[in-house]
Amino acid sequence: MSEPREEIPVQRAWMAIAQKIGTPILSAALAIAIGSFIMWISGYDAPAAYGALFKGAFGSPKQIGDTILRATPLIFTGLAVAYGFRAGLFNIGAEGQLFMGGLAAAALGVFLVGQPWILVAPALLIASALAGAAWAFIPALLKARIGAHEVITTMMFTYIARYLVSWLVVGPLKAEGQIPQTAALMPEAQLPRIQGLFSQGALEAFPFLNLGRAHLGIAVAIIVATIVWLILKYTTLGYENRAVGFNAFASETAGISVQWTTVKALCISGALAGLAGSVEVMGVHHRIFDQFSSGFGFTGIAVALLAKNHPLGVIPAALLFGALSAGAGTMQLEAHVPQKIILIIQALVIFFVAAEEIILWFVRRRQKEAMSHAG
Amino acid sequence: MPVLELREVTKVFPGVIANDRVSMTLERGEIVALLGENGAGKSTLMNVVYGLLSPDHGEILLDGKPTKIRSPRQAIDHGIGMVHQHFMLVEPLTVTENIVLGREPGRFGIIDFADARAKVAAISKRYGLKIDPDARIMDLSVGMQQRVEILKALYQGAGVLILDEPTAVLTPQEVRELFAVVQSLVAEGLSVVFITHKLEEVMAVADRIIVMRGGAVVGETRPSETDAVGLARMMVGRDVVLSIEKGATTCGDTVLDVVELQVKDDRGLDAVAGVTFNVCGGEIVAIAGVSGNGQSELIDAIVGLRTPSAGSIALMGVDITHASARASIEAGVSHIPEDRHRRGLVLEFDLAENLVLGDHRSAPYASHGFMKPRVVAEMARTRIADYDIRTPSEKVLASSMSGGNQQKVVVAREIGRDPELLVAAQPTRGLDVGAIEFVHKQILAAREAGKGVLLISLELEEVLSLADRILVMYEGRIVREFVGGEADAETLGYHMTGGGGSKLDEGAQTEAAGAAPSEGEVVR
Amino acid sequence: MLGDIITPDLFASALRMATPLALAAIGGTLCERSGVVNIALEGIMLTGAFFGTAAVLATGNPWMGVGAAMLAGVAISSIHAFASVNLRADQVVSGTAINLLALGVTGFLMELWYGHPGTTASIQVLRPIFSFSSPGGGFLAEVWRWVNGIVFSHTPIVYLTIIIAVVAQWAMYRTKWGLHLRALGEHPRAVDTVGVSVYRGRWVAVLMSGALAGLAGANLTIEQVGSFTENMTNGRGFIALAANIFGRWTPVGSYLASLLFGFADALQIKLQILRDVITVPPQFFLMLPYVLTVIVLAGVIGRAVAPAAVGEPYKKG
Repeated sequence: MSEPREEIPVQRAWMAIAQKIGTPILSAALAIAIGSFIMWISGYDAPAAYGALFKGAFGSPKQIGDTILRATPLIFTGLAVAYGFRAGLFNIGAEGQLFMGGLAAAALGVFLVGQPWILVAPALLIASALAGAAWAFIPALLKARIGAHEVITTMMFTYIARYLVSWLVVGPLKAEGQIPQTAALMPEAQLPRIQGLFSQGALEAFPFLNLGRAHLGIAVAIIVATIVWLILKYTTLGYENRAVGFNAFASETAGISVQWTTVKALCISGALAGLAGSVEVMGVHHRIFDQFSSGFGFTGIAVALLAKNHPLGVIPAALLFGALSAGAGTMQLEAHVPQKIILIIQALVIFFVAAEEIILWFVRRRQKEAMSHAG
Repeated sequence: MPVLELREVTKVFPGVIANDRVSMTLERGEIVALLGENGAGKSTLMNVVYGLLSPDHGEILLDGKPTKIRSPRQAIDHGIGMVHQHFMLVEPLTVTENIVLGREPGRFGIIDFADARAKVAAISKRYGLKIDPDARIMDLSVGMQQRVEILKALYQGAGVLILDEPTAVLTPQEVRELFAVVQSLVAEGLSVVFITHKLEEVMAVADRIIVMRGGAVVGETRPSETDAVGLARMMVGRDVVLSIEKGATTCGDTVLDVVELQVKDDRGLDAVAGVTFNVCGGEIVAIAGVSGNGQSELIDAIVGLRTPSAGSIALMGVDITHASARASIEAGVSHIPEDRHRRGLVLEFDLAENLVLGDHRSAPYASHGFMKPRVVAEMARTRIADYDIRTPSEKVLASSMSGGNQQKVVVAREIGRDPELLVAAQPTRGLDVGAIEFVHKQILAAREAGKGVLLISLELEEVLSLADRILVMYEGRIVREFVGGEADAETLGYHMTGGGGSKLDEGAQTEAAGAAPSEGEVVR
Repeated sequence: MLGDIITPDLFASALRMATPLALAAIGGTLCERSGVVNIALEGIMLTGAFFGTAAVLATGNPWMGVGAAMLAGVAISSIHAFASVNLRADQVVSGTAINLLALGVTGFLMELWYGHPGTTASIQVLRPIFSFSSPGGGFLAEVWRWVNGIVFSHTPIVYLTIIIAVVAQWAMYRTKWGLHLRALGEHPRAVDTVGVSVYRGRWVAVLMSGALAGLAGANLTIEQVGSFTENMTNGRGFIALAANIFGRWTPVGSYLASLLFGFADALQIKLQILRDVITVPPQFFLMLPYVLTVIVLAGVIGRAVAPAAVGEPYKKG
């Protein structure tokens, strides 16, 4: 009697793992397949488009560098959204917190001229995290105290942040010249390029190190993802975060403050999104301007969902979307497919992960077919 | 010819045979009681009849004709009505709107509300079921809501009425009223299936009794041919222990001291209106009362989930009146909550994570903000062994366990914490006999260990068999105190419905006293 | 100066600005009353705006555009209905996917059909229904100027929206459909057990919200702007959701709440015109509707009660 009882859970554990990894992969595959279908009915050459896309994303070390470059902020926004989801919160406004984080880094970076890199860079990262957290604080408070839905409030704060930045770059923070942007950061406030860390000789000896524009932010991102993973798994903070996300009533009964946990979770989420802003400012643009983010905050939602809200899963998910976005330019150039197809694929990925049933339905049907063939 | 006949109905859920070749009949004008424990398959069987579930085998005959019932709509069309255990009423809508829902009078899709109201009034008059047709459901008492459910079934033209555990939520007085209603319905030619697990109700109301166990019919009898003990044996499948072995009370220090406590409910009304009592070590104090008389708010205040508006609570002489839930846990209060799915467990957590819930910040399970998974796992394994939790490992998710096992997890956590005071709210609700016995044993063990126990239960049998002292709560006050053995179910029921207080007039008092069902003889 | 701001045109503009919000908000009301959260209003509106414009560009007939916009709204909302009703997906996430999808599809088709991103060519718009000349001078003429300006200066969809609000309110409380809708979002199983299909009820509600949000998009392009620009809805779908909450999940309430937001928008535009007099950067005026939304949400929630079963997938049996 006891034997089969023990075997079932083991089998189910395997199933659970397979499902955890399998459905995201299938979701991404299905989304890409439908993407090619859309290209085909639109009269484009889908294989050529994906070929160009692949080339643009992985064709050379420089292009791999571009993929990494775009994945870097996505890791942060993906982590931000995932951390919120783990507390049952949907931080749809990561984009706004990203703007505020970028703003903090750009403004403070100009101010801290002449200090050593080892002080300035961490200071800017911390400042941007704080700014992102601060921008999430009011929605967090409104959610915790009166239950105002964070989807609406964080979204509204995103618009407010954008207009705020748009004013600052033409107003108080405007640099000399015609273009509405802030002054450039000095090298001590920048995240250096990875290839810049190596000597010319080393680069010639190991050509794969010529990662183009990819910068040190990726290292920061991986470290932060690991920290978030450790927090969720091994700390009381993470335990309470997950408990509240699953069952707020039981958490309250067990002495966990649901309100305080909600505020903490949304602010930490905001801080992670804020970091996305600073790596873009410190590593890519070295300043802030109106359109400095191409919707990384929103793509972060797709990243988090594809990663099933697992902090380490966010890294490959971000790399996938980074590659799509890095390759999109080449795809448009060579196969003339509008880059917007990437947005469609993103939406489909979200859709399929959310509606897991579709994927499971496909899987079950395949299993049934296999069984009937076998029989 | 029976109005309803089931032949060999079988319903299989993954891993469970919920109904195993069940056959039964229901004659016109008859009340058949379907008796069985939780999980015996009674509700599943009736959901099959009502078209909510489709049977895997067997057939249903209505007036002798084999009939397929694929949806509630078809059941209704065939004259079958069902009053569910959880009411199918839309709270913000009015009585009339709820009754006519799905069969509204009117033309071109526009509801004729005057006609609807008139129809409701007519039915309510015919069967003597008084109701305000314009009241909102959320403003009605539970008993009245049930009345709306019955009216709804009658409006839909039910000839067969299925009542699923109709008395679970009612006061003894409301139960008596319900029985009268059922009798009058039968007199009007309806046929009633009455699902219950309470023996005394079966004896009081049924014409015929069908006993189910483990998904199958195990016996059929009439009230005149049996007694409660015989029914209990049939229902459980063995002799039922009718009393619990309990040592004498050795009252230690005062553990809990509640003085003049007042607590407001969610609407800001005084739910607890000045309550004073204490619990000492090695004593089980039970609070008896009809649901909604302030017990929930009282518990909430003691365990720190609700702030009292006046009065004080002290634990071992330390004031915890304004303590948070966490402070109250740390002070030594353990809490087996009323609703374990909602408040007791995080179903998506594994066993170990659930067993540490509430202690997850304290040594030895955590230090400096970090959890200690190994210590937690070790504790979990100890608890699993000590409390006989049936699981292959501590890494199994709580959601994949049976209800009895889940409650064992809550009990293991709350008693295993070694508290000063154990607050147990409805600790055996929805459990099978084995699990109930286990939980009772654990509560008694806590008492032997010198803990104070505050037991809140709607089950009078449980209160009577476990408690050293019984406090009867009515409308936010303690209206009567009994020392164990001094009370019986009838007296308790009488006081629970305000019989001993001054709120009801003399006539109602005698009524209520007569109404108390005779539960005394069927104590587990 | 105040006279420059408070003109008939300010109030007329408030009515115009309120129209797309109100249509989407009423759509949100119907959808949420049935138990389905619809944060996809933003994307549906954008889809309607695009296909409305495209149809006018193709046919030259603005009314064809209105029809196309509503059809497109219904089409894209059917994805949301399928996901949240049949597949029991997380409704908020499904809505997010649709918002992104709308952004992608409209941008993609824009380049495919018109060869460039950004803004389409101008289209034939719907004109105001009435045009009365103003009689003579004096006090009466001044009164007429106000009445004419506020009441009679509008395009068809502006009036249609008022009618829709009133009719929807009536239908919700007086018809079988309305009773079923109100019950669906509170206790779907109760509806199921009396033999009314939960799935069908929710599908219909989601599709209706799609049609209304599509119409809102048509109003934006075919009545207000006269062309389509990528992402032109600019958060209106989310503001509409807030208006629905502020209006306590009733059609007329949603309309009135939208009027408030519309007025804020109208005022904001008016103040921008006066930027020479008022030296506040225009960005702050542009923030106004969003700030107002947060304030309204902060002030109203807690007193407004959402349908009990909203956001919860329903499983039969």
